[in-house]
Amino acid sequence: MNELGPVWLTTRREILVRGRSRAFIIGLAVTVLLVVAAVALPRLMGGGGDRYVVGLAGAQSDRLAAVLGAQAEAAEDTELTVVSYPDEAAARAGIESGEVEAAVVDNARLIVAESPGANLRTMLDTAHRIVATEERLRSAGLDPGAVQQAMQVEPLAQVSLSGTSEEEAGTRRMLAMAVVILLFLLIIQACTMVAMGVVEEKGSRIVEILLATIRPAQLLAGKVIGLGVLGLLQIAAIAVAAYAAAQVGGLLPELPEDTPGVLALSVGWFLLGYAFYAVLFAAIASLVSRQEELQSVLTPATLLLMASYFVAIYAVMEPAGTVARVLSIVPPFSAMVMPVRASGGEVPMWETGLAFGLMLLAVLLVLWLGGRVYERAVLRTGARVRIAEVLRAG
Amino acid sequence: MLRIDELRKRYGEKVALDGVSLTVRPGEMFGFVGANGAGKTTTMRIVMGVLQPDGGEVRWQDRPLDFATRRRFGYMPEERGLYAKMRVREQLEYFGRLHGMSPDRARRSADDLIERLGLTERRDTEVERLSLGNQQRVQLAVALVHEPEMLILDEPFSGLDPIAVDALAEVLLERTAAGVPVVFSSHQLELVERLCDSVGIIAGGRMVATGTVAELRARERHKRLRVVLSEAEPGWADRLPGTIVAKDGDEVILEPDDDQAVLLEAMRLGRVEQFGWVEPKLSEIFREAVA
Ligand SMILES: Nc1ncnc2c1ncn2[C@@H]1O[C@H](COP(=O)(O)OP(=O)(O)OP(=O)(O)O)[C@@H](O)[C@H]1O
Ligand SMILES: [Mg+2]
Repeated sequence: MNELGPVWLTTRREILVRGRSRAFIIGLAVTVLLVVAAVALPRLMGGGGDRYVVGLAGAQSDRLAAVLGAQAEAAEDTELTVVSYPDEAAARAGIESGEVEAAVVDNARLIVAESPGANLRTMLDTAHRIVATEERLRSAGLDPGAVQQAMQVEPLAQVSLSGTSEEEAGTRRMLAMAVVILLFLLIIQACTMVAMGVVEEKGSRIVEILLATIRPAQLLAGKVIGLGVLGLLQIAAIAVAAYAAAQVGGLLPELPEDTPGVLALSVGWFLLGYAFYAVLFAAIASLVSRQEELQSVLTPATLLLMASYFVAIYAVMEPAGTVARVLSIVPPFSAMVMPVRASGGEVPMWETGLAFGLMLLAVLLVLWLGGRVYERAVLRTGARVRIAEVLRAG
Repeated sequence: MLRIDELRKRYGEKVALDGVSLTVRPGEMFGFVGANGAGKTTTMRIVMGVLQPDGGEVRWQDRPLDFATRRRFGYMPEERGLYAKMRVREQLEYFGRLHGMSPDRARRSADDLIERLGLTERRDTEVERLSLGNQQRVQLAVALVHEPEMLILDEPFSGLDPIAVDALAEVLLERTAAGVPVVFSSHQLELVERLCDSVGIIAGGRMVATGTVAELRARERHKRLRVVLSEAEPGWADRLPGTIVAKDGDEVILEPDDDQAVLLEAMRLGRVEQFGWVEPKLSEIFREAVA
């Protein structure tokens, strides 16, 4: 068999066996549910936005209906239904029966059961003013078409001095935050699985049989790749669920144009970050023989990952700050900070390139060193192996 | 043919192997026995390449044993290791394929072993849900699944019920009949005596005796006499010239100074019903060798 055969077999085993484990399936289901809930909850809590049913009767009803409809259309999350009544008495009956909550008669009187909410009141007032103004201008002899056109005024356009609109900046922050949290969760989860897998094999001594058959590098590569693929599958599932929930909820904000690019880049960074931490975790895990010892030996590596995470969160708040700029280039921080900066807006090409190159070097270094440690430590069962000892030996 | 030549291994100050040499010929069943901590596992791990020796060499077919060749060996480590979450058949297939078998062949071989080792009902059970003995059977199947050219088994019989012992013995004998050499370590000396063509006794990291069971017996053969007398006075046994090992009614077992002198004296003391050398048991040879 060629050199890649065993890698493929071990990769496949990891995907099949881990992928069907209860822990993985439940974990994925819970994450997806959480994401869907986080996306859809605001909508559910808000009772699906505002809904109004308004009655109209008497003069200018048609124009009012048109203007109200346009307003509801323009406002997000607002649904307005208009019921036409032949006269005021019918409208009053409609309110009493609860068919409508308010009625406008002759564009002069607002009849309500109890005082309406501020939103509805504003909408009705605005419509009233527009239609009444139109009517007066028309009776002053102006051309009705011209009047209507003159009344169509665009809302105030907002210009922010930072170049992007306030709203877009908010959306970008949200996007960056989502990317950071997802990256962190997936990396730590997948890397922990790698570490536990290494200890499982070492502790159960199955590694003796395996390493009498395949090379340590092949075994490690298969494990890292297999669990990485599972990680990517998780990203895909979460992204699809989040997108679908937002679509159904109808509250997907206008995403910046470069979103697909940002996401693709984030996947790239995930791969680099994952490769770095997975091999690091695997090498460290190979020093111990029992799962109980794993937590404590992994602490420094976990802290490094946590530090990256906090810097990245900080960078979400202040993407243009010096800390964010510098650490977005220094590996392994770059793996989490750079995607944040990228989703926060423009990053000079050379900075992205440099960060990528340095991170790649770091990954190669970890592969080389971590591979050596793993190879030498994984067969030394029993007491915890000291890392200096392993590096010195052979 | 497997040749182990002057293997040395130390752990810090502790010398585990102090020049271990042995040879296993094609089709030979080799029993590797020795007290706890004598160095059996260390030797086998070195053969399988999971431990590096400080000195010495392992040769296969007159060439140094390398990784590619070792992949065609079957190995059962002392500490059992299986993937707890994998099902029996799936696990066997995986190991078969890892050794380079085609998916088809791996499956056929797995199914065959599952049947031979009495695991048919457990075929799709996750290993962690099997009893210890059944896990042991799976472990053996893992060592056998890729139709290895040589078998290195570290205490394969421990923990098995008599039926499983017979099933395994049958499988191993079948392999040796096909020319595959088998080395297994064991503390069950009757089993070794029954199954093995050759035996190696290791003590304190050195081989103290190797050879066929018959050869080892021959070394110890003329050591103990069994004498049965009738019509003799009580206390007759003490008058025989030699050291008494055991005494039971009319029967006495002793290590003679001179066997012919014992016979003459016995005839004088009573009527000699039986007189002859005791065939030593492997356990006796073992005790003698490691003493
Ligand atoms: N990892 C280790 N570190 C230190 N000493 C070891 C180690 N492994 C084995 N030894 C020592 O090497 C010697 C040989 O051990 P080995 O496991 O080969 O014995 P064994 O013949 O297989 O014994 P058993 O019948 O109990 O399985 C023992 O004295 C043991 O204490
Ligand atoms: Mg042993």
